[in-house]
Amino acid sequence: MSIREVLEGPLYIVRALATTFKHNARPRVTIEYPERQKVVPPRHRGRHILHRYADGLEKCVGCELCAIACPVGCIVVEAAENTPERRVSPGERYAKRYEINLLRCIYCGMCEEACPYDAITMGPRYDLADDHPDKFIAVKEDLLEPLQASLGDTARPSAAPSAQAEPRKW
Amino acid sequence: MASTVVTDQVTLTVNGQSVTVPKGTLILDAAKKIGIDIPIFCSHPKMAPVAVCRMCLVEVEKMPKLQPACAVYVADGMVVRTTTEQVQKYQKGVLEFLLINHPLDCPICDKGGECPLQDQTYQYGPGASRFDFEKAHFDKAVPLSDKIVLDRERCILCWRCTRFSEEISGERELALIQRGVHTIIGTFNDEPAQSNYQGNWTEICPVGALTSREYRFISRPWDLDRTASICPGCSMGCNIQVDARHNRIGRFQSRENLAVDDGWLCDFGRYSFPTFQRQGFEAPRVRQDGKLVEVSFEEAIAAAADGLAQARGAVAGWASPAATNEELFLFQRLFRQRLQSPHIDHRAFRPTWPDPDPDDMTLPIADLERCDYVVVLGGQEVIDAAPVLHLRLFKSERRGVKVLKIDAEQGARAREWVPADAQAVGILATVSHKKEATDLQAALGKKVKGSVRRLLVVRGPNGRGANDLGILPNFRPGYEGLNGQSGKGRAEWGKGGIGAAYIFEASPLHAFEATEDERRWLSGLKTLVMHRFRASPLDDLAHVIIPGRAFTEKAGTVTNMEGRVQRIGRAIDADAVPDDWMVLQAIARKLGAPWDYHESSDITADLLDLIPQYAAVDRGERVLWSERT
Ligand code: SF4
Ligand code: SF4
Ligand code: SF4
Ligand code: SF4
Repeated sequence: MSIREVLEGPLYIVRALATTFKHNARPRVTIEYPERQKVVPPRHRGRHILHRYADGLEKCVGCELCAIACPVGCIVVEAAENTPERRVSPGERYAKRYEINLLRCIYCGMCEEACPYDAITMGPRYDLADDHPDKFIAVKEDLLEPLQASLGDTARPSAAPSAQAEPRKW
Repeated sequence: MASTVVTDQVTLTVNGQSVTVPKGTLILDAAKKIGIDIPIFCSHPKMAPVAVCRMCLVEVEKMPKLQPACAVYVADGMVVRTTTEQVQKYQKGVLEFLLINHPLDCPICDKGGECPLQDQTYQYGPGASRFDFEKAHFDKAVPLSDKIVLDRERCILCWRCTRFSEEISGERELALIQRGVHTIIGTFNDEPAQSNYQGNWTEICPVGALTSREYRFISRPWDLDRTASICPGCSMGCNIQVDARHNRIGRFQSRENLAVDDGWLCDFGRYSFPTFQRQGFEAPRVRQDGKLVEVSFEEAIAAAADGLAQARGAVAGWASPAATNEELFLFQRLFRQRLQSPHIDHRAFRPTWPDPDPDDMTLPIADLERCDYVVVLGGQEVIDAAPVLHLRLFKSERRGVKVLKIDAEQGARAREWVPADAQAVGILATVSHKKEATDLQAALGKKVKGSVRRLLVVRGPNGRGANDLGILPNFRPGYEGLNGQSGKGRAEWGKGGIGAAYIFEASPLHAFEATEDERRWLSGLKTLVMHRFRASPLDDLAHVIIPGRAFTEKAGTVTNMEGRVQRIGRAIDADAVPDDWMVLQAIARKLGAPWDYHESSDITADLLDLIPQYAAVDRGERVLWSERT
């Protein structure tokens, strides 16, 4: 070790500390997760949401097009018929069972694209860690948006089953 | 140029390919012969052409306008083009018109995924609609009967359903009501449809206008596991496909076999599937101190073997005529060889039954069309016993066969009715009127020049197999007599000398159905083993209850009334329940039998050794007993 190196040593320390203090003053890029959550872009493909119409009826008709479009086959849908006593969706048919295996899902968004009623979309949620594989089977209750969340979204696609409307008699 | 040879064949070209077909062929069928597909909606191979949907329009040289391929017969030298620009334009136009008022229901429609309208729109139709106005609306989800749901918006007015009810079943239940764009399908006065063949409407409807209530929203076609099988409804043996989803039966669909069902099913058979739907897995039970206690299968089998062995020589055995040939084969071996009790039967209770013989099936079902006179002894009773026979008879009648439906006692009328110069006479009857049928056959045999054959409708999808395999007190497999070692038949069991009974109720549709007297003597037995799929009224008398499998949960062969040996397939997994033949084998092994079968097909192989005629199973043919002599 030369004398020069010995003398330069403290200099390096000062320079390093200077870097540290410089970054201390800069704006932070990390957040205090989980107390604070990141705001994701609007088209973020996070955990799915099953939507409702403004009147609270479910948009999903249980057509299984999402299930067949899904490249990994992680959606299971079973349909049932609406009755006057139990009306779940506007048309004749609703999804009695709707399950997504979130561990298998690759968050590609094909289901969203396949859905003819915009019933399923990819949502903002990304914090999906849990402690047992079984907890990753999202059932319909997990996926459905809460009742009030849909209020204000009044548009109902024109292709929605027309049983809702009084059939015109010829 | 002029050919001097007169032939029944004509040669035409379709899309430049030359094809030779018999005179009177439709352009559509000629094109199909060389693999050229012409789209259709209304045309159906079993119905007369009506050319209402206009989807099959093709260009025929020298004809000014496009011609419907489903209604124009071929002519020599005809030049047909199916892919020209004009044809394509018309196909697009026809589809665009059809879709103007057809709702965009595909996501909620049970036909979606197997819908000719969807498929053909993809293949031939326009990509988009130019119709910006509100579609016409009609009633949706109209209950046409308790079996069928009609969606009037989806109907494309192809008339297939109305033509079926006119030309195929002859019941004329469906009709077109109103005219033009107002036309709808309906029944008279909106009364519920009564036909026993309504399920077929759902199969021929090219859209989702007619759908089955039982299958409503159960599944989409691509989810279904399809297994070829045979209808468990009756001895007709119609070929079905069991469509299952998530290990539950979704529906029975027809699997056309021109020799048997001609592509149709009856509603009794088609909608019998809920009977075979598994409700859960029940544990075997054994009676201990008067109470039924749940035990394991091993314990139940041991208890059954024990109880039966104690009554060796005096055990009565009843097997349902819905059990497979493999099970019946083991069943009779168990009784004859291991229990020394030839007291086996498969029939309903009756004081006497006529003995079956191979001549009961000398008239194949399809040959009804080739008879000139058919006598249905028993009329509606015969039809009720095998409903799809009605469709075959109606088809025969439309082709000029004379059919006489009379009560079984009116044989004398039939004797007069059939003229002496008849070429081929057929007699249909249920097995309970065998005597009347054979008497009539003998009388007509003397009177007419031609052949007189009979076909007896037996009970159960394998009633014929039960006869063939000797589930009878007085016949070994193959109708061989027992040389004085006959056992007691069902009618004699109650008269004493029986110590234990084994009732193998394979199907709830063809159950033991005990009479009051029978219940009385059954309750006096030391051992009653109930081996059945579903809870039975006899359960409360049983000492051992062994749950079995449903028809849809096992593989094997069954023999229909005309002696056709057909395979049934295992559509549903029920591994928690031992297969019915395994139970029979396990009991026999407890009694010292060296059987070691691993698959039901191993048993089939042994069965073929014993009854070589059954080799017909591999050819889908009828068992011809005449080969025996
Ligand atoms: S995001 Fe992709 S992988 Fe996930 S459920 Fe939808 S289609 Fe399937
Ligand atoms: S989410 Fe959409 S595609 Fe999936 S079943 Fe429901 S309606 Fe059909
Ligand atoms: S209900 Fe179906 S089969 Fe009947 S006319 Fe309409 S589309 Fe054709
Ligand atoms: S005729 Fe018999 S075998 Fe045919 S579908 Fe009806 S019940 Fe089934």
